[in-house]
Amino acid sequence: MALASTLAVGHELPPLEKELTQRHIDAYSGVRARSIHSDEAWARRKGFRTTLAQGMMSTAYVSEMMTRLLGAGFVKGGTMSVTFVQPVYAGDRLTVRGVVKELRPEGAAIRVVVDVWCENQHGQKTAVGTASGVISS
Amino acid sequence: MTEFKPLTYDALTIGEEFVSDTMLVTPEDIDTYAFATGDDHPWFSGSSPFGGPVAHPTFAANQALRLRHSRYVVHAGLHAKMQFEFLEPIRVGMRVRSRGRVIDKYERRGKQYMVTEFVTEDEAGIPLVRGQFTQMLIPA
Repeated sequence: MALASTLAVGHELPPLEKELTQRHIDAYSGVRARSIHSDEAWARRKGFRTTLAQGMMSTAYVSEMMTRLLGAGFVKGGTMSVTFVQPVYAGDRLTVRGVVKELRPEGAAIRVVVDVWCENQHGQKTAVGTASGVISS
Repeated sequence: MTEFKPLTYDALTIGEEFVSDTMLVTPEDIDTYAFATGDDHPWFSGSSPFGGPVAHPTFAANQALRLRHSRYVVHAGLHAKMQFEFLEPIRVGMRVRSRGRVIDKYERRGKQYMVTEFVTEDEAGIPLVRGQFTQMLIPA
C-alpha cells in the first residue's frame, strides 16, 4: 500500500553503479579459450578493442534495480525486455537507470512498468528496454 | 552421443529444439553469481518472502542462452535482445533445466540473427522463467 501510494509515472529509480572488471566477467561467463568474454587476443581478432561483458550481465543489473523497487513482485511476476545497443567492455563503468512509465491495474494488483537503460562512462546507452512487476493496490 | 557441428546460418533450422543439462542450484553458485553481478540481496542467502533463499531472477539465464551449445560449436556471437517473464522463484536446491526452440532466423544489414524461445523448469516441469532471445552470429 505504501509503495503504491508513493510511485507515480515519471518517478526516477535510484541508479545503480557497476564497475565491470575482467574478474567479474570471468565469474559471470566462465573462462574459456576462444571466447570474446575471457580471451583478449580472440576478442581483438573478432574486431573488438578488448574483451566484452556478456549483454546478460546488464539484465542482472536491471533485475537488481527492479527487485530493490518491487521486491517479491518482481521475483515472481516480473518481466523484462531489453535490446543491447552498444558493447560493454572490460573496465567499463555502467550506470543503470529507470523511470516509471506506467501504472496499470492487473486484477487486484498494479503492474509497474519502468523504462530501463544502462549507460557507460561516456554517457552512451548500452542497453535499453522496459521491465515490470506487480505491487498490491 | 551428440555430434557437434559448427554453427552457421545455413545449418540452423527454424523449429529445431534444444534441451540443456540439469543444473543443481547451489548456495555456492548463487554466491558466485552475486559476486559477478555485485548483487548480494539478503534473499539470495537467507530467508525470503518465498520461504528459504531464492536465486537471482536472472540466475539461470546463461543456461538458456547457451542452449545452442548443446548441438553446435559456436564460433562467436553477440546478444542482441532478451526478454524474460519471471513466473516462479528459483530456489536453492532445485534442479533446473532449460528447453528452447529456434523460432526465427533473419539477415539484416548484412548481419545474421537467430531467435530462440525458451523456458526454464524445475524437476517437476513447472515453468520458472520463460522468454526469448536474439543472437547475432559472427562468422568464422
